[in-house]
Amino acid sequence: MTGARRDSCDVAVIGAGMAGMATALFAAERGLSCIQVGNPGGILFASGLLDLFGVHPVAERRLWRSPYAAIAALAREQSDHPLARIDASSIRTAFEIFVAALGAAGLRYAPLGDRNRSVLTSIGTIKTTFGVPLSMVAGVDALEARPPCLLVDFRGLREFNARQIAESLGHRWPDLRHRRIEFPGTEAAPELYAAHLARALESRQTRERTIALVKPLLGDALAVGFPAVLGLARASEVHAAFEAGLEMPVFEIPTMPTSVPGLRLLGALETAVSARGVRRRHQASVRALAFDREAGTAALDVEGVPGVERVVARAVVLATGRFTGRGLTADRGQVRESILGIPVLQPASREAWHQRDFLDPSGHAVNRAGLAIDDAWRPLDADGKPVWPRLFAVGSILAHQDWMRSKCGSGLAISTAWAAMEQVARQLRGTGAG
Amino acid sequence: MSPALFQTALYASLALCSLGLVWRVSAWFRVRIGPDARTVALSQRVAALLRGGALALFSRRVFQLAGAVFLDLLLQRRLFANEKLRWLGHLLILTGFTLLLLMHALAAIVTAKLFQGYQPTLDPYLFLRNLSGAMVITGVGLLLFGRWRRQTGLPQARRPMDMAFVALLGFVLVSGFLLEAHKIASPRAFYRMSDQFIGSTDAGRLTPLRAVWASEFGVAFDDLKLPIDPRLLEQGRELHRSACASCHTKPVSAFVSYPMARVLAPVTDLLDTGRADAWLLYLHVFACFLGLAVLPFTLMFHLVAVPISLLVNAAAPNRDFSLAGRASRRALALDACVRCGICDLHCSVAPLARYLGNLGLLPAHKLQATAALAGGRLLGCEDVALRAADGAFLCTDCGRCTAHCPVGLDLEDLWEAGRGDLAAAGLPSPAQWVQAHPALAWAESLERGPAEHVDSGPDDLLAPLSADRRSFSRCVQCQTCTNVCPVVAHSMDSNHGIDLTPQKVMNLLRLGLRDLTLGSRMVWDCATCYQCQENCPAGVRVADIMCELRALGVRRLGAVRSLRESS
Repeated sequence: MTGARRDSCDVAVIGAGMAGMATALFAAERGLSCIQVGNPGGILFASGLLDLFGVHPVAERRLWRSPYAAIAALAREQSDHPLARIDASSIRTAFEIFVAALGAAGLRYAPLGDRNRSVLTSIGTIKTTFGVPLSMVAGVDALEARPPCLLVDFRGLREFNARQIAESLGHRWPDLRHRRIEFPGTEAAPELYAAHLARALESRQTRERTIALVKPLLGDALAVGFPAVLGLARASEVHAAFEAGLEMPVFEIPTMPTSVPGLRLLGALETAVSARGVRRRHQASVRALAFDREAGTAALDVEGVPGVERVVARAVVLATGRFTGRGLTADRGQVRESILGIPVLQPASREAWHQRDFLDPSGHAVNRAGLAIDDAWRPLDADGKPVWPRLFAVGSILAHQDWMRSKCGSGLAISTAWAAMEQVARQLRGTGAG
Repeated sequence: MSPALFQTALYASLALCSLGLVWRVSAWFRVRIGPDARTVALSQRVAALLRGGALALFSRRVFQLAGAVFLDLLLQRRLFANEKLRWLGHLLILTGFTLLLLMHALAAIVTAKLFQGYQPTLDPYLFLRNLSGAMVITGVGLLLFGRWRRQTGLPQARRPMDMAFVALLGFVLVSGFLLEAHKIASPRAFYRMSDQFIGSTDAGRLTPLRAVWASEFGVAFDDLKLPIDPRLLEQGRELHRSACASCHTKPVSAFVSYPMARVLAPVTDLLDTGRADAWLLYLHVFACFLGLAVLPFTLMFHLVAVPISLLVNAAAPNRDFSLAGRASRRALALDACVRCGICDLHCSVAPLARYLGNLGLLPAHKLQATAALAGGRLLGCEDVALRAADGAFLCTDCGRCTAHCPVGLDLEDLWEAGRGDLAAAGLPSPAQWVQAHPALAWAESLERGPAEHVDSGPDDLLAPLSADRRSFSRCVQCQTCTNVCPVVAHSMDSNHGIDLTPQKVMNLLRLGLRDLTLGSRMVWDCATCYQCQENCPAGVRVADIMCELRALGVRRLGAVRSLRESS
């Protein structure tokens, strides 16, 4: 490794999805120096809504109004689920800190409270979630009270159709109307893209022309819904300007990923961790990870555009995700952990990975495959011992959970990151003193 | 040598040199590079120089000028920052050459006036002359070694005259050393001197002196008895002190020519018979005169152009240059370029030059093409002109050539002007000729084109990303690249929109339809801002692929261009 660049830190976080970002954020909040490796683009698949825990048991598809009550039920019935290992007050604290950091970075959320909320989606379905961006919260209220309401869409924006939503919900919400308008300045464009509209609306002129187009269409409406294109970096300002201009509550409806709320979330998380001094290697990946058991450090070979860098860390957190995040890889025979080949809890054979029915409500066994951990969030080797005393794992790579069907993606990422970071801090204090 | 011949040759070569200098310097006001330069009259350019010079001399800028003379000219700090070895080589040549010129070539009017009792055969002059010559030779050796060591696989820019002049310089130095060595060893020279200062050429009478000169001054007498009697030496030394010592010190200090004299000793007699002293002198002197006469038309003209270029650039900040000033400065830059090739080493598109096999992309080569275009020599050969145009327009204006230029040329200004000339001459950029036809038409041409161009075998090696499905197989068509693309955003409000979005380009690659992308507006309008690549959730190198497709397009569409344009 002669001539290679070198760096060192307390905690190396591998992964830059929701779990990796939350881990880096919490590490920095605890005053630990942190290097984060990974491409954060996966966050673009997020909707901007923060689920905590929505469905339990998965097979019954039972929706819960209170996520905390659902987690309590989970803890009674399935104690090996990662969320069942964390007490409610820790989860509350983790979410409060996470949402406050996003707010400070320009992405403001409605106060969290104790209950799940129902949010209208761009295909006219209703999604149960927990944390809702301020720009969407008027939609939650409208969906509950169902007042006369107008949905607006733009010609050429193919991913959002107001008429489809209104017709899907018409039987339950008779005063839901829809209108299509021409987005100012795009008359010649055959197809529009949400992020470009969002950026265009950050210009006051485009905003005012749009508001002027919508105003005559309001009629008796008491709220107006738009596709989630109301600004990007300055979304709060754009949203406020729409409410002031239209003189009524305005809400965004999340569009299909990858979407503008995903871009906002990515931007806010990047701002939040960078502002806290996290050193990000965001166009890089870990090529090799080795432990020096005598020195008590881990060495990561980080491969990026400038070449290979050696990072020496006192603790390492795996937040590499599942198959799309490439934390797990599957071949014809089995599922493997990508970096170290840590044993993955999984069905005995490939035949047992999936149910016969693809849409089986109880989900598939392979979706619950993942890393087994001890009480300190450390992944276990084949002998059931921690792989390394200060190697931790968080997020969706953990076994015994099916976050998509439980509606607990963000909840899993944020809560496990918080709980694991508590252990990391405790372990590092131990080594620091010793 | 007869003084008449010497003087005639000297004045003739001086006259040729002066005429050459006038011609070359006048080019700084005559040569027009860039369409804007055509609007400026010669008088305006002269006036701009006078005004700029006066403004610089009578303002605080004069300190900048002094700084430029000291740091940039004498100490060569720009070269030092680039390459220490070449800096050392260049400094050795510059110092050695200057010393030789003043102390040796112009000895009669410089050294003899400054130092009383100057004789070329006395120390320290003897030693210093050897030292200076050795410095020049070592310097040239370092430069050649430096060039050899950083072989990039791409040929370096040079003109035929460049190497010829280096050879001539080497010849002057080698003939000089040979002449000196021969004169040290030559009995004939000894007798000529003894005749002049002792009035005798009688070998018997001069035996003591010859003993001294043979043993201590390296004269190769072939009729001297050995070993030499010490008493004879004592006698000889006395004679030496009275007749020779005022003009001669022991030539051991001539650390190059004295050993050479020892080596030449066995053949000295032969050389004496053949009058080597005369013809070596002729060769040496006439080589110098030849060098002087052709100097304005060789690489050595940089001795004039570089100092002036440095001073001009130090005289005013870039933004203060009027159009007339810039026009002259561009012409001056053509002469101040020493073709060192440092710019080529730092060029951002050098990989493209390698890939396309088009040296026209590299700055040092491009400068020569710019000069050829300005001189009307480029347009004659169409193929060369087309390649020069492709090269000039694939430049990304990253500015690294300017930043690294050891003589401080504003190359970006030159490139922009050159592109203007190319466009005016009907040689459009690849983006222009490619976009003259829709992507689909290009794909059809490729299909109908000659088989060897359709064969993508070599392309797969040279276009590694777009040929390897692993580089885009992770694409899930999520549209993020399109969403963050400023080019797509811009085309929303224009009638000249792009034809494909970035994610559609990736999809065509996934479908194995790469030929359809090569002429696409998206590929050619890509601003290379890397937003797509930075944001891609799947880690696809979208922007890198776009660059690669452009390079591939120049090559493959260029091959069917005539077919397309004739149809």
